[in-house]
Amino acid sequence: MDFTANYDMFLNEEHELLRKTVHDFAEKEVAPHIREWDRSGAQAEGPETRMHIRPLLQKMGQLGFLGICVPAKYGGAGMDYLALAVVCEELERVDSALRVVLSVHTGLNSLSLLQWGTEEQKQKYLKPQAEGTKFAGYCLTEPNSGTDAGAMLATARRDGDSYILNGEKTWISLADVADHFLVFAKTDPAQGNRGISCFIVERAFPGVSSHPIHGKLGVRAGNTGSVVLQDVRVPAANRLGEEGEGFKIAMSALDNGRYTVAAGATGLIQASLEASLRYAQERHTFGVPIADHQLVKRMLSHMVRKLDTSRLLVYRAGWMKNQGRRNTRETTLAKWHATVSSFEAADDAIQVHGAYGYSDEYPVERYLRNARGAIIYEGTRELQELLQADFALGTRENRPLRRELPAYSAEEWG
Amino acid sequence: MHIVVCMKQVPRDNSVKINNDLSINAEGIEQIMNLFDEYAMEEALQWNEKLGGKVTVLSLGPDEWKEQIRRALAMGATDALLLNDPSYANLDVLGAAKVVADAIKKLGDVDLVLAGRNSTDDESGAFGPALARALGWPQLTYVGKFLEVNDGAKKMVVERHLEEQVETVETSLPAVATVVKDINEPRYPSLLRIKKVAKVEIPTWGAADVGAASSAASVAGRVPPPPRPKGEIVDGADAAEKVRKLVDKLMENQVI
Repeated sequence: MDFTANYDMFLNEEHELLRKTVHDFAEKEVAPHIREWDRSGAQAEGPETRMHIRPLLQKMGQLGFLGICVPAKYGGAGMDYLALAVVCEELERVDSALRVVLSVHTGLNSLSLLQWGTEEQKQKYLKPQAEGTKFAGYCLTEPNSGTDAGAMLATARRDGDSYILNGEKTWISLADVADHFLVFAKTDPAQGNRGISCFIVERAFPGVSSHPIHGKLGVRAGNTGSVVLQDVRVPAANRLGEEGEGFKIAMSALDNGRYTVAAGATGLIQASLEASLRYAQERHTFGVPIADHQLVKRMLSHMVRKLDTSRLLVYRAGWMKNQGRRNTRETTLAKWHATVSSFEAADDAIQVHGAYGYSDEYPVERYLRNARGAIIYEGTRELQELLQADFALGTRENRPLRRELPAYSAEEWG
Repeated sequence: MHIVVCMKQVPRDNSVKINNDLSINAEGIEQIMNLFDEYAMEEALQWNEKLGGKVTVLSLGPDEWKEQIRRALAMGATDALLLNDPSYANLDVLGAAKVVADAIKKLGDVDLVLAGRNSTDDESGAFGPALARALGWPQLTYVGKFLEVNDGAKKMVVERHLEEQVETVETSLPAVATVVKDINEPRYPSLLRIKKVAKVEIPTWGAADVGAASSAASVAGRVPPPPRPKGEIVDGADAAEKVRKLVDKLMENQVI
């Protein structure tokens, strides 16, 4: 069954052709190696020396995935925000590490440049990122601040025409691979959230170093690490947005990052469902395929429910982005629902596979490990729950931003 | 240089079922570009990049095949043509080749026709040779390498990868060539092109447009071959006895 059929209220031929292309790429270039790459992450020690990460990013860049929803004049493919969701779905259908690249490079970093950047910043940083020749990361989290971003300790001290940055950022995807980072640091430590500013930092700037985090539960095929900034001199021209606007930039970036996470989680649900459907029809117990047993059917049907509801929530958020509408509530709802559902779907997929599902002979245990992280990163499950309640109670509203994410325009972006 | 690539849409994998009438039942199975045709497409695009001109993707099939035609356009084909007519529904390979030949003649300026060595569903491998015959052009099957394609001198040199030898053949153009697997690494569709071709109208010719009345054969029905008679196992106490009994039987049936 084609689980992506009948979404024509959101998608068109362009998205279908795109879906097939990304699908083929992931199946051909990644699926045959993913078990080995995932295992390599479990065994790694010391600096990031794994050889598959950079070539994979380069290939994704060459194919245009990394600039999928960036206007052609900034080096992108000029497709819409729904296309970004389609890419994320199809990548995470094979492995979450691929989708994470889209989340940080495209969702969190590049789209923030598109939204908040000056023309010079877009030409200098967004263009090579969209073309896929430079890779990008997003540095918000610190060892002692995650959800409570305002508690960050990183500082940025003005010094003439530049800022001097100091601090340590951790749980940074592509920490050892990215060429550019968006780094959040306090220009006014007394001001809390309002004292945060955002900077475009190049890895090549003196004082920037990174090291990987090992022993992760999931997303082992990808690179995650810490970025350390020691007296890094950053030109004032590299400040993204106004001084003190960093927190707003960080949160608006999350509206895009969470969207990619939600779309990816949808792909992971589909992968769990497809693997379970295949196995349930092959495996026999008590003289019949296990798909004939009612309690197995229940697990399959719940996966279908989670898949369709997640996808609909994601596409609604994407449609709103295309219209230029603020979508914080809708995106966080999609992220919360899809990620929690993806973990449950992967858990059920293991159950359908029985003991086989408990080893990496089948992919479903990897799905479970990969799904778990997304319930923590880019806004914990608990944060999303609070946000939904606050929106419903009317105690939270989206105040207009100085710069909103631009609406999609087929003519201007092409 | 105008290269035409004949492209067929086929079910993705070998898990297709066979209908009662022995036709292929690909219901619910994803349709893709025939693997070998994809290599032909890539080869055409590479030579087009060197020589300029046009690459036309040509298919004979129902409207649903436009999906793969769009994929070929997104890979880089410059033109497309779908041949679709109710009378084409049950054409056999020879019939299809005749219709495609008529269409190519009507296109007029074609220098080279490429196709896969066979389709992965019907697997007859007869389309390329039949097309060459219908056009009256040289046919080069199982091409594993194009050494030279010379637009000006209207000639081409290729390697045919045969079972026990590699044969280098020079031919005049126009010609028809079918390619083998791994002749190249087919590219992915470009996202920028996807955006351009997603809504483009695919030119479609019916029988009237193709013109020449192709007196084509069609598949009237399929029947399975008669079952093979059951074999008989010759038994005996030892090899010598078994051989003696076997020889007796063979003589009895006047085989020896």
